[in-house]
Amino acid sequence: MNYPHWQLALPGGMLIALVAVLHVFVSHFAVGGGCFLVVTELIARRRGDTGLLDYCRRHSKFFALLTLVFGAITGVGIWFTIGLVSPEATSTLIHAFVWGWAIEWVFFFVEIAAAIIYARTWESLPARDHMIIGWIYFVAAWMSLFVINGILTFMLTPGRWIETHSFWDGFFNPTFLPSLVARSAVSLILAGIFGYVTLPGAEEIRSRVARWAALWMVAGVVILPLALWWYFSTIPRFSQLYLNGVLIGVRHAVRGGVGFTLVALLLALICGVWKPRWMRPPVVAVMVICGLGAIGAGEYLREFLRKPWVINGVVYANDVRATQVEELQNKGVAVTANFLTTGGNDQLAYGANLFQLQCGSCHGAEGYRGMARRVDGWDAEFAADILQHIHVLRGTMPPYAGNEEDRKALGAYLASLNPPWHLQITDANRLEIGEKVFNSRCGHCHSVNGNLRALRGAFEKQTPAQVQEAFPALGMMSTDMPNFNAPDDQAQALAFYISHEANKPIAQKPTPQEMPTGSTHSQLRIPFDAGEVR
Amino acid sequence: MSPIRVPHVDPLPLPGPVWLFTVLLLVVFTLHVVAMNFALGGGLWALWNYLRGRSSPHRNSRRLADELSQMLPSFLAFTVTLGVAALLFVQVLYGNFLYTSSILIGALWLMVIPLVIVAYYGYYFFSYTAEKGRTAAGWILALSVCILLAIAFIFVNNMTLMLRPERWLEMYRAHPNGWNLNLGDASVVPRYLHIVNGSIVLFSAILAHLGMRKMKSDAVYGRWLVQRAALVFATCTGLQFLFGMWLLLAIPRPIAMSLLSEPLMGGVFGLALISVIAAMLLILLGSLAERPSMLVHAGFGVSLLTLFLMVCLRFLLRMAYLRPYADLNALAVHPQIGVIAIFIVLFIGGLATVGYMLWLLARSARVRSAEAAR
Repeated sequence: MNYPHWQLALPGGMLIALVAVLHVFVSHFAVGGGCFLVVTELIARRRGDTGLLDYCRRHSKFFALLTLVFGAITGVGIWFTIGLVSPEATSTLIHAFVWGWAIEWVFFFVEIAAAIIYARTWESLPARDHMIIGWIYFVAAWMSLFVINGILTFMLTPGRWIETHSFWDGFFNPTFLPSLVARSAVSLILAGIFGYVTLPGAEEIRSRVARWAALWMVAGVVILPLALWWYFSTIPRFSQLYLNGVLIGVRHAVRGGVGFTLVALLLALICGVWKPRWMRPPVVAVMVICGLGAIGAGEYLREFLRKPWVINGVVYANDVRATQVEELQNKGVAVTANFLTTGGNDQLAYGANLFQLQCGSCHGAEGYRGMARRVDGWDAEFAADILQHIHVLRGTMPPYAGNEEDRKALGAYLASLNPPWHLQITDANRLEIGEKVFNSRCGHCHSVNGNLRALRGAFEKQTPAQVQEAFPALGMMSTDMPNFNAPDDQAQALAFYISHEANKPIAQKPTPQEMPTGSTHSQLRIPFDAGEVR
Repeated sequence: MSPIRVPHVDPLPLPGPVWLFTVLLLVVFTLHVVAMNFALGGGLWALWNYLRGRSSPHRNSRRLADELSQMLPSFLAFTVTLGVAALLFVQVLYGNFLYTSSILIGALWLMVIPLVIVAYYGYYFFSYTAEKGRTAAGWILALSVCILLAIAFIFVNNMTLMLRPERWLEMYRAHPNGWNLNLGDASVVPRYLHIVNGSIVLFSAILAHLGMRKMKSDAVYGRWLVQRAALVFATCTGLQFLFGMWLLLAIPRPIAMSLLSEPLMGGVFGLALISVIAAMLLILLGSLAERPSMLVHAGFGVSLLTLFLMVCLRFLLRMAYLRPYADLNALAVHPQIGVIAIFIVLFIGGLATVGYMLWLLARSARVRSAEAAR
């Protein structure tokens, strides 16, 4: 609300993700690959192995071209992108950690200078001096990872910083160490994967390099799960609940990350260790893609586990500060925001503007995380009511930051994304339409028999008429429930569906102890309670 | 007319004193501009000499283009690296202005990233192929130089727009998707010309300085380089006066007047004028002699001083522009003393490490030239 919102064709968060994934992919290679190069050079020189030394020389050129140009510039790209998409959060990070970044910059500067010298001086520097440059490179690169890791982990686990605002409390936060180990392991894996890109042609040296690179990957793959287990045991409770399967995207990301890593490892074992002659460009290309996929999954997970925050306890994902919410709810956006595109006379246009401001970081009207399909069947009143409870849904949404007028305007806009429903309900389609109404009105927070705040317990052994009797009272049952205002025919179909589902036999009843339903799920609201922030 | 809205400053206090951030910003930004002048001015010099050197009578041009081709990628690397530090420190002091102007031109601002990547790879391509004299090398170099010129234009737009909050809301409402330029500001074009031409001026001074050193190993080539660089330096410095005057006329009158009315700004401005004239005289006098003299080195040194003074003047002008909206002295400060101390130690350590690596290079070059002499 403080800054203008950059209105993009895609959610700003996706843009950050795109730039970040590419950068993380190359920058971790820049760390692990640096170590790989200098250790390989050391072995080659000790053994007088000219074939291996030639490989190092060629690999260092590829390494420099990829990391110095693409790696370094995409890193600057993250700076540019976060400043454009989340200026409030960027400003917070800068104010808290500018000296950390300045220190990181020193290492970055040394790293760049060393990389340029290392790649260019194979012939001109004595062996010992050349390796000294290589070690300087690696130490600077890893230290740069060390420093940036402190700032990145702070965003999920600010630790005692919330109370003290002390640099060190924020920097050496609860996930600092596990994340550092995990990132170092990822660097080793990527060093191995990229080691195949410049594989020599001659059979004998090719086999040796192929096995050597596989060894680096194996080392990384052994360390990584242990580091991740440590990491996941130190993240906040609400993040752990996401991992337990409440969110489909998180489940896919975990499976994807594990899958990509295992495929790359399998290829390294088969085509690197067992049959090195099979390690041909298409195989290498698949391995590089797997590496990128695993990094993409990891970054997605890292971002998602932090929802609804961009900095846990400080700034929400939509770049609204936690401390601003109350003022926005009291005074309204029209008075508080600095950059609105509309004057506020046209409710729908104002609602669209609010949508951009409050939701645009993660959602568009259509496309990935598009809102149109999520609000299908909503009328303006219901949408405005849901907004009041938006932070409860699955715990991933920030609270609505606006007054009643804003809520109504945004509700009207959301309702305008789809044509109103005109349903012809018959006995034949009652169940189907009931399900449709359930998904539209209830499914964002509840399931009947699933693990998401299951309703079976409440409606088991009830007839459709009995279920429907409960609807008018829903808004009074809990402060987190919206009022029920669907037309009668939809209410009948919905009651029919719930009754049907709640009474059908199922193999195992949902057990609240094991699944984040109802009461346990409410823990997803932990971030709103500063005392629980880890 | 809507009231002028400026995003409020960050609620967290500054983690260090304003003067320290200012000094660091001025130092790293000066170094960034030196590197940028290498990358852009050097690219323009390389392009001209590469094209000229393709015909046989211009062997010196050919040689110069070859030599520059090897340096350009590193120049660009340090332009970016030093630019990152400048971006870091300016965000601390003027983040609420810079973020806003960046968002207003967001689409073009983000375009800088892929553009730099392409220009950078272009420089690498040129460094690998220049020696072979391929036509493609010239085209690729031209593309890289054009991209750098475009990037400079985007930067000038952002750096001028961050000074004009009164233009923001209207601009945002016109194109909230970030497809804006600050062309309504009369200072953009002269400032752009001043910066691009300035990069040629400074790089020419650097070349004159390098030419003096080349004279030790190859007198003819060295003298050619010194004299050619001095000629370009003098011509472009003359142009620089014209662009500078245009810029002075284009910035708002009260701000231009503060150059005369405020002792600090007036002093820096006066010193910069004296120093640029001194640099021109020194380089011209030093290079016109039959044997170019040490005056050229002095002229190069004074050129660097001029650049630093210009950077300071730029900062003071920014303060004057933003005076109605920002008061750096009013910002809350809570210095992180321990971390600042670590930064300073590491900064010195980092410089020493880079110095050590350069020393290793110089030592091996000495050994090799001694072996070659034997």
